Amino acid sequence: MSGSTQTFEYARGGAGLGQTPPGPLDPSVARAPRDADDPLHGEHMQLNMGPQHPATHGVLRLKLELDGETMLKIEPEVGYLHRGKEKTCESLGWAKFFPHTDRLDYVQPLMNNVGYALALEQLAGIQVPERGQVIRVLLMELSRIAAHLIYLGTSAIDQGAVTMFFNTFKVREDIYTILDAYTGHRMNNTYVRIGGVFADVDPGVEALVRDFLARMPAEIDGFEALLSGNRIWFDRNRNVGVLSKEQALAWSLTGPNLRGSGVEFDLRKAQPYCGYEQYDFEIPIGTLGDCYDRYLVRIEEMRQSARIATQALERLSSSHGGEFLAEDRRYVLPPKDKVHTSMEELIFQFKIVTDLRLPAGEAYHAIESSKGELGFYVVSDGSSKPLRCHIRAPGLMNVQAIPPLAEGRLLSDMVALIGSLDFVMGEVDR
Amino acid sequence: MVIVKRKELSLAERLYLPEVFRALSITFRAIFKKKVTRQYPEERLVTTAVTRGQPRLVLLDDNQHLACVSCGLCEIACPAYAITIDGAETERCIEREPKRFEIDMLRCILCGFCEEACPKDAIFMSDELELADFSRAALIYDIEKLKRPRAALQPRIDYFYGANDRWRKRSSTS
Ligand code: SF4
Ligand code: SF4
Repeated sequence: MSGSTQTFEYARGGAGLGQTPPGPLDPSVARAPRDADDPLHGEHMQLNMGPQHPATHGVLRLKLELDGETMLKIEPEVGYLHRGKEKTCESLGWAKFFPHTDRLDYVQPLMNNVGYALALEQLAGIQVPERGQVIRVLLMELSRIAAHLIYLGTSAIDQGAVTMFFNTFKVREDIYTILDAYTGHRMNNTYVRIGGVFADVDPGVEALVRDFLARMPAEIDGFEALLSGNRIWFDRNRNVGVLSKEQALAWSLTGPNLRGSGVEFDLRKAQPYCGYEQYDFEIPIGTLGDCYDRYLVRIEEMRQSARIATQALERLSSSHGGEFLAEDRRYVLPPKDKVHTSMEELIFQFKIVTDLRLPAGEAYHAIESSKGELGFYVVSDGSSKPLRCHIRAPGLMNVQAIPPLAEGRLLSDMVALIGSLDFVMGEVDR
Repeated sequence: MVIVKRKELSLAERLYLPEVFRALSITFRAIFKKKVTRQYPEERLVTTAVTRGQPRLVLLDDNQHLACVSCGLCEIACPAYAITIDGAETERCIEREPKRFEIDMLRCILCGFCEEACPKDAIFMSDELELADFSRAALIYDIEKLKRPRAALQPRIDYFYGANDRWRKRSSTS
């Protein structure tokens, strides 16, 4: 029984964890004064924001109780995009789930691919060859930039800056051109396999990436010139949605939202994977934890990602001909020409396609996605299908920060808040 | 660790009006920049051998028979349950061939798993991307719609063998 009490306390805000439970914020910072002259004041109104509202970034439904324009009660409702991805994984089998991970957080498919692959590799005990890891890092950092560009573009257009939307999408298109040349698809790449990546890259693509990375810093400066000193952006983001360190920790927020509140935590540094410890980069953190800080953190993260990508590119061009897929005939398909010529390889091919088994046990692996800690927890009973697959989606945690941060604020702040918490419903609802 | 710098507004930025004119100057300058919008369908995306378009079946050099032996691996590998195969006996030396081979293009997610699974080089991802028709039934492609001469898929086959070339140093079985 005591176990359930503890869970309850944790749900109430982590009082059991020795942290300050999230309470109402300092009124001078967080709350706009209630407008007593408002003719609608005093009469409460129910308002549905979403699920088809363009500013809710997908199909999030918010049940709002308004007093005039002040939000009194906010109830986010998730699940409109629920496709049962975890159960799909359990019924499809290990390898066939890769294309489905693309569709979780669909603005960064490659990161989801890698997160899932890492969990399976941990369970199977496979070591990914050096070049495979470098390709993964390069693609993940490009995806991170693309995802942050979407954040920037969509939250800017929601707050009226239409130009930003087009500018960011133009740059994102360059990234998609690179991903297309690498993986054959612009989105839904399905490029990662257990043990490495699907195929090696054409050296010609490296020139494309180099060219893009050379242009990137100037592009980011351009975005900053348009937004950082923009009066509207300034007024709508400063001191809006102030998230304290304690609140962020208590609600298990991760990623740029946590770092915006001044906590230096990045899984790439804290629990390096894919060889991130060999790259030189900094973690940006904010001071106040408002929407503006989260914006600045993401801008800086794009710069750091470009830095990592540049280093990865150097490694890539100095390791031509290296292995990119682990040689392990229990989990990795043998090369095609060997399948044609060797009976054993043909048997492995059949075995892996029809009945890929992972050893019994469980594994959890998390990566730092553009939204925060994206974790895959897989349990195997030794058969060809997972007994359980759980996806720790950072977006879901981000959604739960909406009600306390928006309470008592004006309705228009909600748009800024949703934009800056940055979640994608494909991942929240799974 | 870097702590991001919060900017304060300058006088011009606070007054807003000068900024409006600065913004307009940026907008008007953009008129003379190179256009990035692509006029689809007149201007299409360039497809290469890397492009993973819709899966197609490879015809043998006689341009009559499929290379497929209806082993069913692609059917099993498909994460979208898009492929349906009925096999049949044949007089040809490969002994089995598909009597019915259908890919439901409405289900196919262009993942390329069928291509990877096929042990006979019989199915490859083409660079055909466009998909539209007037009925659902017409989008369930049968052998007639799927078959392509090997030459049409050759760039993809070459790419597949080239990019997937690996495990050269040490090999346990061959
Ligand atoms: S490309 Fe993927 S979804 Fe389409 S038929 Fe092949 S395996 Fe199935
Ligand atoms: S895997 Fe290849 S040979 Fe086997 S059924 Fe599919 S297309 Fe035919």
